Order: sequence, then C-alpha cells, then structure tokens
Amino acid sequence: MMNSPSNPTPKARRPIDRWRWTGRLFLVLMLLYTAVPMIWMLLTSIKSGFAALQFPPQWWPDEPTLASYQKLLDPTNSVGRDFLRFFWNSLFVSTVTTILAVIVAVPAAYAFSRFDFPGRKFLFFAVLLRNMFPAVIFLVPLFILMRLLGLVNTHGSLILTYLTFGLPLAIWLLKGFYDNIPIQLEQAARIDGATRFQAFILVVMPLSVPGIIATAIYSFIGAWNEYIFAYTFINRNDQLTLPVGIQRFFSENTTDFPGLMAASFMMSLPVVVLFLLLQRYFVKALTEGAVKH
Amino acid sequence: MTAVGSPADSACRKNVQRTGILRQAWINRSDYLYVLPSIGVMLVVIAYPIYYTIELSFFNTPPSLQLRDKIFVGLDNYGLILQSNVFWRVTLNTIIWTVASTFFAFFLGLGAALALHREFFGRGVLRAILIIPWVISAVAASYIWKWIYHSDFGVIGAVLVGLGLADRPPNFIDNVNTVLPSLIVVNVWREFPFAMIMLMAGLQTVPDQLLRAATVDGAGPWQRFWHVTFPHLKGVSTVTILLLAVANFNSFIIPWIMTGGGPSNASHIWITHIYELAFGRQRWGVASAYSVLLFLIVMTFGYFYVRALSGSERKARG
Repeated sequence: MMNSPSNPTPKARRPIDRWRWTGRLFLVLMLLYTAVPMIWMLLTSIKSGFAALQFPPQWWPDEPTLASYQKLLDPTNSVGRDFLRFFWNSLFVSTVTTILAVIVAVPAAYAFSRFDFPGRKFLFFAVLLRNMFPAVIFLVPLFILMRLLGLVNTHGSLILTYLTFGLPLAIWLLKGFYDNIPIQLEQAARIDGATRFQAFILVVMPLSVPGIIATAIYSFIGAWNEYIFAYTFINRNDQLTLPVGIQRFFSENTTDFPGLMAASFMMSLPVVVLFLLLQRYFVKALTEGAVKH
Repeated sequence: MTAVGSPADSACRKNVQRTGILRQAWINRSDYLYVLPSIGVMLVVIAYPIYYTIELSFFNTPPSLQLRDKIFVGLDNYGLILQSNVFWRVTLNTIIWTVASTFFAFFLGLGAALALHREFFGRGVLRAILIIPWVISAVAASYIWKWIYHSDFGVIGAVLVGLGLADRPPNFIDNVNTVLPSLIVVNVWREFPFAMIMLMAGLQTVPDQLLRAATVDGAGPWQRFWHVTFPHLKGVSTVTILLLAVANFNSFIIPWIMTGGGPSNASHIWITHIYELAFGRQRWGVASAYSVLLFLIVMTFGYFYVRALSGSERKARG
C-alpha cells in the first residue's frame, strides 16, 4: 500500500513483503509472549485445586469450575469476607487518591504551563526529579513520620503517600495538555471581562477534560497497584489493600494456585477494563509531553 | 498590573526583570497559589524524609526504632557497606537487571510500534492486548509468572518436557544462574508496552511525505527507517529509555515477591536489599547509608533526565 501502485514490478515489491512478514512474525511472537501468561492464569483459575497440581498439566481443564471465584466473592466464608474487604479498601483508597490528585495537580500544571513566576523552572524540575527516587529511600523516615502523625494502619497514610508520589507525573501529563491549548482562547475571555481565574475555570478546564481523565486513570491505576507502602504501613488485616492482602493470604497457602490465579484475575480486572475503555485519553496525554514538537 | 496572556505578559515581565527578583515574585504572588498545594505536600512527604535519611546514615540505631538511643558512628555505616561482599554482588545484579530490562523493553517496544504502525485488520485489538501487561499489577504479574515457572507444575517446564527438550522440568527461579534472567523476562513483559505506546505516538510525528519522497528516491525499508524515521524518534526514545532505566533501577515488587532476593542473593537488587536491611534485619542506620549512596547515583541519572526533559521543554515553549 505504501509504495506507489504505478510501480508494481516484482523486484520492487519483494523486499517490502519480506519486511512486512518479518513484522507479522514478530507481532505473533509478541502476542504469544503477552497473552500466554494471561491465558494460563485464566485456565488455572477455573481448575480445581487437585487438577492444577498435575504433571503433565491439563492443558484444558477436564472439569472447569468457578469454585475459586465463588469462594472469593462469597461474603459468608472467611476467604470471601477478607477478599471483599481488601477489594473495598483498594477501591476506597484509589478513588480518594484520584480525586485529590486531580484537585491538586490541575492548578499546578496550569501554573507551570502558563505563568512565568520566578522559580517556575526550578519548581517544575524539583517536581520531576521526585520521580527519580525509589520509594525505599523514603520508607523508614515516612514510617516514622506516619507514626508521629498517628496514621500507621490507616488509609490516610496510603492516600497521603500515593498523592505525593503520583503528583509529579500527573503534573507533567497535564502540563503537556495545557501547553497545547491556545492561549488566545483565554485572552479572548479576558478581553470579554473574565478574571484570570474565571478564564481558567470556564475556558481552559472544559478543554482539558481529556487530560484530566488521563491523570485520573494514571492516579487510580497507580494507587490500585501500589504495594510497597501498603506493605510497610498497614498491619491490620481489615485495613489491607488488595496487592498486600493477596500476598498475606496466599504466601502461607501456596498450593491453592487456582485461588491465587482467580484472585490475581479479580485484582487485574477493574484496572484493565478501566484502561481499555479510556486508553485513548491516556495514550494521548502520556505522549503529549514527550513527543510534541 | 493586569497582565493578559503571553505576549503582553512577557512584555510587562521583561520590565519587571530590572526591578529585582523579590519584587517580581511579589507581583506574581498569586501565581504561587496554584503550585502551593503540590509543593506543600511534597515538602512534608519528600524533603523531610530525605533529610532524615541522611541524618540516620551516620548513626547506629537500635532495632526498636527508639531513635533517642541512637549512637553517632560517623562514616562507619558507609565503610561497612563498601567492604561487604554482598554489596558488590547486589550492585552487579542491579546493573544487569537495569541494563537488560531497559534494553529488551525498549527494543521489543520499538519493534511492536513499527509493526503496528500500518493499518491492518485487527490492529486495534492486538494493540490493546499487548498493552494489558503494563496495566496489570506487578503483584499479580509476579504470581502469574511464579506459577508459570513452578518447578513441578509449571507450564514452561511441561512444554519443554513435552517437546523432549528436557528430561524433567527445569528449576528457573531456585537456580543461582537462571534466576536473574527469569525475573528480567517478567519485568520486560510488564514494561515493553510502555515503550510501545511512547514510540507509537512518536511514529505519528514522522511526516508521510518524507517517507514517500525517500521511496521515490529509491530508499529501501531499512534506509527509510534509519534516515527518516529514526531521527524523528530520537527525542521520544531518549525520554523513554530514561524513564525505563529509572523505573528498573527502582523496581522492587517482582524480585521481592518472586524470590525475596534469593537463592543466596542471586536476585537481590539494591532496593530489595535495602528493604531487607531496614525492615527485615532492622539495621536502620546501614539501610539509610545505602539509601544515601543510592540517592547519589540517582542524582547522576537525574542530571541527564532533567537535561533530556528540559530539551523537550525548550522545544515546547520555543
């Protein structure tokens, strides 16, 4: 398709075909690499505990069963009660983090994109530089700080840390968006008598909804999947979030692979669905900052 | 002083420049309100811990974290680290882990982005499937792969035995020689989609006319890639590689859950090692000194990171 149709001589086409087939072969291999682990997770999750522990394995379960899922979602048994509790905790922490992240990041990103106050550059790079530091550096002092604030074993400790650690990239994503909104729109609003704040709320905000959605997905997924802070700050079972909760539960009982795979699937499902529904915003925003000219 | 938008704005601000930075800051004081919440949160949660880590690294601390009882030991913690064999083992692991993960994630992502660039049937679905591992939590990914690598019932072992390539299922993650590569496979599985997304967007900035012109001039696919496409991807590639390298250097979950750093430290990287020193053996002072060393390394990375990003920042504002 790419080469001119007026020149369909076999000599000109052959190398292109070879490259195209290389590309297809590569995609097939990548598809296998990506999909086989996920398929194996699903197939294992519908086996019985006994069927999973066979060698050679049952490639396709002889007697598929949803027992593992029923167990996880049944609030009347202890496994189900804990799992639903972790699920709810994760949902709560991620949602609150997301809302706060948007409220805090939007004005900051806007200011970094539009204003020219002294120290703007310095503050912006300070924000970005944060992104470079591993969580572990902060763990000991943060643990002490959280103890001081009385936040150990509360969701507040997680929300506060996720908010901070998610902010740099959220601000960066949003700033890319604001950079691309023509400043003339605000100028027009200002000439019509709007204050700078009104211009921001009434003109810029509605245009940046895709960027805000992207930031929200990013914060939500980040908080949903976070492990190391939750692992360190939370010790009470009823406060655990999913990643740590699942680990606490199954590391003691490593033979229940169908249960573990079902739990992994249930933990991944919300973020995967959310991401697939909204991916175009996210992909757009992620690349805006790095790719634009 | 009712500054409107950028052209007028920058004009008045140029005047202001002469009147000194404090006055300028005062005139723009309302601007700071917008960044205040972010900076405030970050000061509490980031600046304080950094200060505290540096301080602790000079002390011998009791395991209980009753920090009133800490004893000043000068640079002893640092000396202890640099003399230990584990330190060099872990450093080597970290280098292998970071370089190999970044290399494979980037090139697999680049290949996938190039192969997915042209429209074909099922492209959208394929792209969505390839992105999924990036969204899945690293904890779930670790368990999925741990099960796949399982030494008795793992599916890879079963396939190898089934094809007659092995007598019995190999032990991937309980073996000093294979554990690190096995974990890198998992890490790349989760990370290549990120490189793919970044580079797919980068590819959209390559002008079609240029590619067509190159074809007319008789350039083959490889020449077109090297002379037209690749120069356009330089900026986004730099940022992608840096972000990947930083993420890999800082990774924790996959080695921690899959092996806990074992067997015999063969899969310990800096972060897991520091974590174990602090929260496992409760040697807070030594762990803090490790963190400070890590901090210095990260700052070196950071210099290039800021330079690369400020390059794209200049372009954006330029």
